[in-house]
Amino acid sequence: MIRSLLIAFAVLVSSCGVTLAEVQVGKEAPDFALTDTNGKSHHLSDYKGKYVVLEWYQPDCPFVRKHYNSGNMQALQKEYVSKGVVWLSIDSSAAGQEGNYPPDQLNQIATKSGSARTALLLDPEGKVGHLYGAKTTPDMYIINPQGTLVYQGAIDDRPSADLGDVKTAKNYVKTALNAVMAGQTVATNSTRPYGCSVKYAR
Amino acid sequence: MKNGLPRSFYLVLICVVCSARLLTAQVQDGRELVRATLLTDTATVQAGQKFHIGVLYKIEPDWHIYWKYAGDSGIPTEIQWHLPPGFQAGPLQWPLPARDKEPGDLEVFAYGSEVLLYSEVTAPASLPAGPIAIKADSKWLVCKSSCVPGEANLSLELNSGQTASDSSLFQRYAAQVPQVFPAKYQLSIARQAQQVTVSFSGTESSASLDFYPEPPPEVVLGHGKQLGNTVTFSIDSEGKALDRLSGVALIKDGSKVQAFQVPGQEFNHLKAAVGADRAQTLDLTAFLQAVGFALLGGLILNVMPCVLPVISLKIFGFVSEAGDRPDKAFRLALAFAAGILACFGLLAVGVVLLRGAGANVGWGFQFQDERFVLVIACIVFAFALNLLGVYEITVSAGATGGLARLASGQGYASAFFQGVFATVLATPCTAPFLGTASAFAFAQPPLITFLIFFAVGIGMAAPYLLLAANPKWLGYLPKPGEWMVRVKQVLGFLLLGTVLWLAWIVGQLKGVQEMVVLGALLLLIGIIAWIKGSFWNPVASVRAKLLSAAAIAGLVILASASYSFFTAPSKLGWQKFSQESLDAALDSGRPVFVDFTADWCITCKANERFAIDTAMVRNAFAQRQVITLRADWTNGDPAITEILKRHGRAGVPMYLVYPGGKNREPALLPELISAQSVLDALKRG
Repeated sequence: MIRSLLIAFAVLVSSCGVTLAEVQVGKEAPDFALTDTNGKSHHLSDYKGKYVVLEWYQPDCPFVRKHYNSGNMQALQKEYVSKGVVWLSIDSSAAGQEGNYPPDQLNQIATKSGSARTALLLDPEGKVGHLYGAKTTPDMYIINPQGTLVYQGAIDDRPSADLGDVKTAKNYVKTALNAVMAGQTVATNSTRPYGCSVKYAR
Repeated sequence: MKNGLPRSFYLVLICVVCSARLLTAQVQDGRELVRATLLTDTATVQAGQKFHIGVLYKIEPDWHIYWKYAGDSGIPTEIQWHLPPGFQAGPLQWPLPARDKEPGDLEVFAYGSEVLLYSEVTAPASLPAGPIAIKADSKWLVCKSSCVPGEANLSLELNSGQTASDSSLFQRYAAQVPQVFPAKYQLSIARQAQQVTVSFSGTESSASLDFYPEPPPEVVLGHGKQLGNTVTFSIDSEGKALDRLSGVALIKDGSKVQAFQVPGQEFNHLKAAVGADRAQTLDLTAFLQAVGFALLGGLILNVMPCVLPVISLKIFGFVSEAGDRPDKAFRLALAFAAGILACFGLLAVGVVLLRGAGANVGWGFQFQDERFVLVIACIVFAFALNLLGVYEITVSAGATGGLARLASGQGYASAFFQGVFATVLATPCTAPFLGTASAFAFAQPPLITFLIFFAVGIGMAAPYLLLAANPKWLGYLPKPGEWMVRVKQVLGFLLLGTVLWLAWIVGQLKGVQEMVVLGALLLLIGIIAWIKGSFWNPVASVRAKLLSAAAIAGLVILASASYSFFTAPSKLGWQKFSQESLDAALDSGRPVFVDFTADWCITCKANERFAIDTAMVRNAFAQRQVITLRADWTNGDPAITEILKRHGRAGVPMYLVYPGGKNREPALLPELISAQSVLDALKRG
């Protein structure tokens, strides 16, 4: 009797659909599947054996623009993609919100900015955004070839929208990637990301 | 939108207007989002004088700039003072911000409409002659649904005769700056694993605590969960070990809110007036109280209808088995008590193991987790119904049979198993208490759990030991009778009171909606318990049992279906409706769908569920890039009432479809809609 009550209750509770961010440095990065701007589907698990960078992206956010207009983000993408890193940018802007563009328009923006990312993934329902607990753009995650999260947080230590700060800032992503790829541990493996809020559905 | 004008332009501007104030523009849609002005509370300053300078930000409605800890997103507002040599500026003073939600459950600490950020400045002992130039460079981020960075290079001149001062403004904002933490309250900030708990004591009982944290940049904190006088934060990630947390403590009493700045001190150092030893003794008293209640609870178990009659039988048994050696009777009773304790030990092991397993899969066994409180409330309610006689708990015959064989015969071993047997046989009466105790024990560390369960066991075993030592006292034992049932019922009402308290906690954590969910769950449990008690008892026919099972299954399915019906989030991206958002949507030339709805409107929910939020409509909306606006009339927003009237409706639901392009005449859909009727209205446009 008691057990059947509890089961009935468990059914009710589990239908609440509470999604909690369960992503933590040192733990396995949860798998996901998203479609990119060219209609190609990407599973995180496809890239086991490679370093993966996740970059939360929203073209109209001034903090994203800081890193693209200064060429900083593209330089990082170019450098590490050439070293075999998979660079996935993710746009979690919901329909009708800032940064939610049709795929071909996003491709145009990418070409114009000279981005060197592997792919730009579309997440208008915010599923992967919520899964990873992404709060700002940019918000960066580095996953090692074993599928473990090795860095999460800000791109650098200068929370501003000033282009000039890019040069003098300490780039956490670069530092972390260099460290893990040289077989060292990451000194600063998580920071608080800064920027605009991810434009989730209202 | 950045201002393209060079800084020198402003220098020229200063000379031209010779103004003490300088404004910079940050324009969107022809409106300045933030107007920053440098102000002082004194126009003339003397040597050694303390005075204030500050930047007043006037912010467009619905936009906000950020506090020193911005929250999940955003950037703190920055001011850099440039003062003449000898002038010393103190730290920036931050009035209490508002805690706002942004879409996607993001929490920010921000200022809307207007705020003054200021510092105290001390003038040097000797002042230069002539005007004194004060400069400030400020940067900020202003956000609504999008974010725009802004900056201003401001200046004013003191002792020039040109500058106005406004001391009342400074006084007004000084009253909003958190004060130094007073000695009359005690506050502790402690860390346990990935959790930081801030707790208060010394406040009025009607007051509640809140806490705005200021974590270092390497640390990501979850949102504070407030419960009475504690606020708990989860540490979601830490690039550097979090060993202290500063922040602002808020004490809310009715409409009165007092804010106090709490400096960061290492964890487990207690803040303000409270001494470490006092906290220790407090914990010890609380613990002794719990053990005391557990002992008492164990004693009470003995007056339950299935236990009391057994006591005298057992004692007579021990006395006759001991024969002329009274000390043997006591030793037999000891073995019997050991049997009882073994049962409780096992129960405690079970609780601890389950708790460990649960913690591994991420269940939060604590009173800050509303799911945990919900489960406990349901368990306690189910047991209360049992005590009130709505249904009975039965022990399976197989288990009791085996135990009965072990317990038959004589000697210490069989006395031990008799103790086990007595405990198991008593479960129909004791389960409500033990179950409730176990549920609460989930929130305790393992050692406490064991001690409390043993205390219950000792309480239950106490009469046997006492009476075996002094069989003459048997005469004082109350006679079994109807009164035992009454005691049971009174205890049932006590448990119902406990449920009320738990419901209050759920309300505090999650609000009235979650409380109603709990109420609905309790109703469901009540009906199931009633079916079980009335139709599914041991004497019921197989058919009655089957029917009862079917009824229960049907109820559970119905309940979960209606739960997900009312709470499922929409898969469409809805924007909040306002005349402005509608105009902006129409300006874009895309089709617009407006849903006028309210939380209490069942027809609205049904339409949303079965017509609007369907794959067919979602696809069509995506294809045509329809902008979806939702007007929420739950609280009877007068602006929405006006629009409803304009379309000849007295209430919700109402659906408007704007075809897009130049045509601004909406189609009005009927009150009951289907997916097809939505699509038809779109195509007609």
